Amino acid sequence: MQWRRALGLLPLALLLLAWHIAVELKVYPPVLLPPPAKVAMVFIDDWQTVLDNAAASIARVLTGITLAFLFAVPLGLMIGRYRLLDTMTDWSIQIFRSIPPISLIPLALLFLGIGDKPAIALIFLAGTWPLLINTIFGVRGIERTLIKVARAARASELLVMKDIILPASLPAIFTGLRLAVGGGWLTVVTAEMIAVKSGLGYMILNAQLTFRSDLIIAGIVVIGAIGLLADQLVRRVRASVCRWQEGLTASPE
Amino acid sequence: MNRFIECIGVGKIYPGKDQPVEALRGIDFACEAGEFVCLLGRSGCGKSTLLQMVAGLETPTAGQIVVAGKELQGPSPYAAIVFQDHGLFPWMTVQKNVEFNMKARGTPAAERRRIAAHFIAMTSLTGFEGRYPHELSGGMRQRVGIARALTTGPKALLMDEPFGALDAQTRGKLQDEVLQIWQAGRTTVLFVTHSIDEALLLADRILVFSPRPGRIAADIRVDLPRPRVPQSAGFTALARELRELVGADREID
Repeated sequence: MQWRRALGLLPLALLLLAWHIAVELKVYPPVLLPPPAKVAMVFIDDWQTVLDNAAASIARVLTGITLAFLFAVPLGLMIGRYRLLDTMTDWSIQIFRSIPPISLIPLALLFLGIGDKPAIALIFLAGTWPLLINTIFGVRGIERTLIKVARAARASELLVMKDIILPASLPAIFTGLRLAVGGGWLTVVTAEMIAVKSGLGYMILNAQLTFRSDLIIAGIVVIGAIGLLADQLVRRVRASVCRWQEGLTASPE
Repeated sequence: MNRFIECIGVGKIYPGKDQPVEALRGIDFACEAGEFVCLLGRSGCGKSTLLQMVAGLETPTAGQIVVAGKELQGPSPYAAIVFQDHGLFPWMTVQKNVEFNMKARGTPAAERRRIAAHFIAMTSLTGFEGRYPHELSGGMRQRVGIARALTTGPKALLMDEPFGALDAQTRGKLQDEVLQIWQAGRTTVLFVTHSIDEALLLADRILVFSPRPGRIAADIRVDLPRPRVPQSAGFTALARELRELVGADREID
């Protein structure tokens, strides 16, 4: 199984090869398209810059997604459980989730100024909708018999929420979390290009102004790598929290 | 006579899509404490609906149901229900599943463990306490469902085709176990089945249902000595009589 995993590196290796060939054929002048080796040097010469900006971006995403989780999951559990609340919120959710967080940057800047606040607010919004919608979806998917068991046992509403609705929804909540982390990461890079003076988005935009295309590409590599790691991390946590699900769901051939 | 469960003119009409559907009409019966009563009939004759109403999970649209001398308003504390699809919580271990009904009543944890251990042993589940439902066979899952129902010391055990999904051998074994539990605890049992043989093996009394709308077509006392032998003359004679009453073709075994 282990060597099969390495197959995942194949497309990346092909891309690296194409890049190398493009440099050799001088498709673009080296100032615009530096060779892979020069980009690799960035991680030795400018590691402090890359690290500081990456840390700034990660901190923003963590804050924004944590806030979104604390807001959207309890709300989603309630909306999924109580029909009245669902009727009340359905249209609003459909409207607001259709608005790309990026389009709210101008408003965020007007209300919150330049700095961490508008970036975190946008990540919060980017994370809230997938978390909310998937949590509601998770609650809806509960087997009816299980709710009957709880009713027949005359379980309190609190116990039903804690011991039945929440655990039953966890797999869906984690699907939402994966989408939220992905969306939050996309948002932070864009927001940093406009609203903040630090972070990977800021770093690559600034590098363009100083003609450091090696730094731009290095930044993009880091953005992609962190995105991959974050996704893997959420998957790991999901697998350990939802161990009971093993063997219940189909896995691809 | 000590009437424990009594139905007086019970009817149930569902608001259908085009026109209302009458599931049950004019159900009158009383069963004594400690009696084992089977509700027998083809699928769709309302026998499950009646059981759900006695469990307090559905409300009758006509008549009333009296359990332990009181008109039923929601699930009764004296009854416990076992479902055909077992209704186990997939995220809870066997131990946690068995403890759930007690937890819902606020039984302290130490006592829950003690009582659970007793019923886990009674249903031959010792050693499987830490397993999840998906790791168990169909028969064992249903044992967990039965153990859970017994933990609160119910005066009435309501069983909704509990063995319908099991193979013949497992089914026979669990039938014996249910009889033992019934004889040991002198609980009242209402048992829904579409199997004539199962009803004859288990019941003191068989209520035969006829469909559209569901009514009680016959109320038959089974005076055969226990343990019952399916090959005996009395058994086969009653089986023939029931087959005629149910109007059985191959649909009923």
